[in-house]
Amino acid sequence: MQTEQSTSVRRHRTSDWSGFMVSASVGALVLWAYVASDIDTGRLAESGGRIGAFLDRMFPPDWSVLPTVVESSLETFRIALLGTAVSIVLSLILGVLAARTVTPPFIHLPLKWLLAAIRAIPLILVAMLMVGAVGLGPLPGILAIAFHSTGMLAKFYAEAIEGIPSGSLAALDSAGATWVQKLRFGAWPLVAPDLVRDTLFRFELNLREALVLGLVGAGGIGFYIQTYVRTFQYDKAATLTIVIIVFVVLIELLNHVVRAALK
Amino acid sequence: MNPIMSAHSSQIDISDLTFSYSGQGARILDIRHLSIETGERVAFIGATGTGKTTLLRLIDGRLLGWAGMVEVLGRTLSPRRAAPRSWNANIGFVFQEYALIERSTVYENVRNGRLGRTHPALSLFGIFNDRDETAITEAINDVGLADLADQRVDQLSGGQRQRVAVARCLSQEPSILIADEPVSSLDPTSAEKVLDLLRACAVARGATLLISSHQPKLVAKYVDRIIGLKQGMVAFDTAADAVTAEELGSLYGWHVTQPAA
Ligand SMILES: Nc1ncnc2c1ncn2[C@@H]1O[C@H](COP(=O)(O)OP(=O)(O)OP(=O)(O)O)[C@@H](O)[C@H]1O
Ligand SMILES: [Mg+2]
Repeated sequence: MQTEQSTSVRRHRTSDWSGFMVSASVGALVLWAYVASDIDTGRLAESGGRIGAFLDRMFPPDWSVLPTVVESSLETFRIALLGTAVSIVLSLILGVLAARTVTPPFIHLPLKWLLAAIRAIPLILVAMLMVGAVGLGPLPGILAIAFHSTGMLAKFYAEAIEGIPSGSLAALDSAGATWVQKLRFGAWPLVAPDLVRDTLFRFELNLREALVLGLVGAGGIGFYIQTYVRTFQYDKAATLTIVIIVFVVLIELLNHVVRAALK
Repeated sequence: MNPIMSAHSSQIDISDLTFSYSGQGARILDIRHLSIETGERVAFIGATGTGKTTLLRLIDGRLLGWAGMVEVLGRTLSPRRAAPRSWNANIGFVFQEYALIERSTVYENVRNGRLGRTHPALSLFGIFNDRDETAITEAINDVGLADLADQRVDQLSGGQRQRVAVARCLSQEPSILIADEPVSSLDPTSAEKVLDLLRACAVARGATLLISSHQPKLVAKYVDRIIGLKQGMVAFDTAADAVTAEELGSLYGWHVTQPAA
């Protein structure tokens, strides 16, 4: 009895101690970030007036640019849509090959590392490389989105495929199903809802990320974000901001409805 | 004498069979000789882990890596290669863990039993022929799930799922009907119903019925022959009504205090 009690107390202390260590380390890290960045908080106070003037210049928004802004938002939408479409095709192929239950380790392990590496490269960097490779316009944007999102989508697809219970497919084997029939009547019903959910999630991310593609000349609304802000046309930037907010909210609503319909 | 008759071989013929899962690991199956004739109804009994499922999977053509001679439905099986589709379609298997497609409906799961019989390409577009439709509907009616045909199987009880698994096997119209512990999760009345059904379907089709079970007394009423397995070997092989208490005792390690009368 007594020994049991003392061990449980000691275990308690250990966890308290490790909790303190974690908090202290995180605190030290934040402090270091602040000190090393050499931030002059005085500037924040002084800038109060400037932020006021800035907001003042944003209103009223200049609605004359609405057609331009809507058209380039649609271009961003098209870039995200086509980029996602290409990514789905790539991810279906790579996802099957990267699934532990489908291919031997010498195929699925390097593929998983490759996908992790792709995920680690920021979209803006990919976009700059694509612009260098194929020139300005929506095409490098589409390619960048396709490449960038395959890192995540193929991983999700592989995980969905790995989640298929092997017994379910063995039963179809036993009934004499062909390989394609097993995919169609066994694997597909089991993974389809997951694949659709993952794809929608990635599409939403692609849309948000595609907003910045124009900054490096890879098409879409990003070009106007940069132009209006750099040239101090804040009333036009205001219109742009409102359009983007409406756009993102609409996509989120749509995604919500589709996700609720799946189950 | 008719030379063909004398050359007759059984529907299932196994000799000098050995098998272990990891190649040189513990022997899971070790069967000198076992043959089963067309239309026989046989129960395999034995303690847990004695190789009942493994033996049934072998007969279903799903096991590779064994040594010996195995002939099923006139085909000499290969321990290295899976059997062709048409042969697979003739053997139906009710899995111990049902192995259903969880997100599909009862109807779709039972339809999967037809995959080896229907047109392989047309079926991909949901086109099944009249013979398929009839077999599916009959199988669903036989197990009493007509009312639940459009229900997803992940919303069914354990017993209902087991009946779906049986229906999938029946829709396949197999010549050999294998059921691995088909009544393990059913109440006594439902268990008798399912065994009755399996037996009736086997009799109606002239099919061979192979069942594994942990309830020797119950299954004895539905089969003609009981084979006791112990550590992968045939411990006894007798008529269903002739199994003795000693034989059962030896399988399960019971101490038989009174000799059977
Ligand atoms: N995939 C596998 N890999 C390795 N060993 C296995 C595998 N499947 C079964 N075994 C082993 O083979 C032996 C026989 O298993 P099997 O499933 O045939 O037994 P069983 O008689 O059906 O048992 P139960 O009554 O519990 O269903 C067991 O010792 C088991 O641990
Ligand atoms: Mg078993």
